[in-house]
Amino acid sequence: MTIHAPAEIVTPPRERRRRRRGTAKVNLGLISIPLLWLILFFLIPVVLVALYSVGLLTLISYDKYLSLDPWRYFLHSSTYLGGPLGRGLFWKSLKMSFGVSITCVLLAYPVAYMLALVAGRRRYTLLLVIITPFLTSYLLRVLAWRVLLNPQGVIEAVLRNAGIVAADGNVSWLFNSTFAVYLVLAYSWVPFVALPIFVSLESLDLQMLEASSDLGASRLTTFRKVTLPMSMPGVIAAFVFVFIPTIGEYVTPQIVGGKAGYLFGNVIQSSFSASFDWQLGSAMSVFMLAAVAILLAIFGRYLNVRSVSE
Amino acid sequence: MGQLDAVMGNPATRRTFLKGTGVLAASGFLAACRKNVNESGAGTAPSSSIGPIEDEPGVLHAHEWAGYDAKWLYADYLKAGYPQPKFSFLVNTEGALAKTAAGFEWDVTHPESGYIQDYINMGALQPWDTSLMPNFKHLNPVIEASGQVDGKQYEIGLDWGYSAPLIRADHLDPTLDSYSYLFTDDAAGHISWFDTPWILQMAAIAQGMDPGHSFDMTDSELEDMKNYTIEKGQKNLYNIWVNYQDMWDDVQTGNVWATYAWPDAYVALKDKVDVAYIRPSGGTLAWVEGLVLRSDTQNYHHAHAFADAWSSATVGTKLISNWGYGHANLDVDLNSIDPDVVKVFGLDDPEKNLSEPQSYLDRYQANRNAYNRAWNEVKASL
Repeated sequence: MTIHAPAEIVTPPRERRRRRRGTAKVNLGLISIPLLWLILFFLIPVVLVALYSVGLLTLISYDKYLSLDPWRYFLHSSTYLGGPLGRGLFWKSLKMSFGVSITCVLLAYPVAYMLALVAGRRRYTLLLVIITPFLTSYLLRVLAWRVLLNPQGVIEAVLRNAGIVAADGNVSWLFNSTFAVYLVLAYSWVPFVALPIFVSLESLDLQMLEASSDLGASRLTTFRKVTLPMSMPGVIAAFVFVFIPTIGEYVTPQIVGGKAGYLFGNVIQSSFSASFDWQLGSAMSVFMLAAVAILLAIFGRYLNVRSVSE
Repeated sequence: MGQLDAVMGNPATRRTFLKGTGVLAASGFLAACRKNVNESGAGTAPSSSIGPIEDEPGVLHAHEWAGYDAKWLYADYLKAGYPQPKFSFLVNTEGALAKTAAGFEWDVTHPESGYIQDYINMGALQPWDTSLMPNFKHLNPVIEASGQVDGKQYEIGLDWGYSAPLIRADHLDPTLDSYSYLFTDDAAGHISWFDTPWILQMAAIAQGMDPGHSFDMTDSELEDMKNYTIEKGQKNLYNIWVNYQDMWDDVQTGNVWATYAWPDAYVALKDKVDVAYIRPSGGTLAWVEGLVLRSDTQNYHHAHAFADAWSSATVGTKLISNWGYGHANLDVDLNSIDPDVVKVFGLDDPEKNLSEPQSYLDRYQANRNAYNRAWNEVKASL
């Protein structure tokens, strides 16, 4: 008895082309909405801001001019990048944002780990519990910190009653300080950091952990050699989630930072509002956008995102 | 809850930290796709074809400060049978200017007098016909003069106040009579400023500069004042307040002994702690706000009736008593106002007290950018 190999099914070239075209259409359809969204709400606004920065767009239409003066002023004036003061402020913002991002990741990782790998069926309930306070207004939460941190607030009252701080003394670094900005920003962003890490940990192949254990690795080694590297895409995404918005932050510094909390974002905000100097504000915004893009490219290269995600 | 109120509900919200956030984001986009206000930029004369009131749409659009939609502020307008105006709210005048430049339409809005020229430059205003406003003759001529450009009444000045030091009299000697309270080493660590370049002017006045000239300092004078302010700020400043109720709290609790304040702070605090409101006799800076009329309004007569209702003595009395703001009407009922408040506002002779050399009203500053940039540098240096 002869067994015949099944005949190879060959799709005619015309059919293949038709299918390819169909797939391309579906892909285009799928990508078009996010692409349109990106163009409308990111690309075009960025271009508009860039046009403002060189005077091709101005608030008052008859006042249009093409000039690099706002850029020159920004790059050369001692108030801005031309002097140690302006540069210092920019570095201060960078450091603050970097520190807050790292802190958030460090605080959020154990939470995400517990939820994803330990909490079992209750994970989504617990996730909801963690996120619940953050469904309230951002402003309200920052104002609540003001109530806690100010010299007549709860924290100092407890410290005074406990005798840790003198009855007529206060903890000067607790409020109207860089520390206060740092603390409140970290608090505000922790849950948003926990989410991408949670997702990345939840999608871990648990068999890899079992294999590591079967091969004699301790829990710590398994975490170090398997869990952590495999969750790095989530960690990096979480870091970026915080780093980008906090570098331009100006509301929190204004509410709890006092004179010490003034950051680069505040200068930009001030240019657009009180100073009514949209050209300069736009130049600073474009500069910050470029700086963040460069930094992210460096981070990406240094952290080798692609190899981690693969 | 007080802090929340300060942000959300109070008329003085305009000077809180929310400055510009939402408005600017929206206006940025709108500005790019704007409908031009007036390409020429010149102030527009009133339309020669102003029709009768019956031909007007009737529902006035007032672009106002939060809280200024309270019905008692235009009670006579409603009483006369005009329809309830439609309100939209501004967060600060800069934001309102930006929205206007972007094509946002209103019939009347409520800027500080220092910004009238900016609106005129973009062709957004026309002068009022004060003969259509019976209450206008009762308004303080000094205030109304601040609303005039080239002899035309572009703003009906209504609410006003001083910008001066409020001090804790139990901590500082109240007899100093100077803006130097805001810089003195005697209050080191207990001084609070508002987020405004006027601090530079106050430093200049405290150093002996003519208050009128402080609106038009030379570059080197501005540089000197910037350096002085930075030096004093680094040494003596507690904070720069953006939310007036936070400042009130800080004064009440003793964190702050000397602060930049408007008279409303005195009205709010005088019965709680030992405070004094210092109007330096060498010249006090003061601000005026009022209604301006859109150049292409379809509600010309309604707008005049609305501004006239705002101008009444009843509104003035209530505004002073309730909110601690001044009002331009000279016929306010002084008997129903706290004598302390009368004294602080100088309501016994408001014409004299608001005139130079007693007071120096806010005005258009052509070199506003230089002041703002210097002030930004001060804030960045603290």
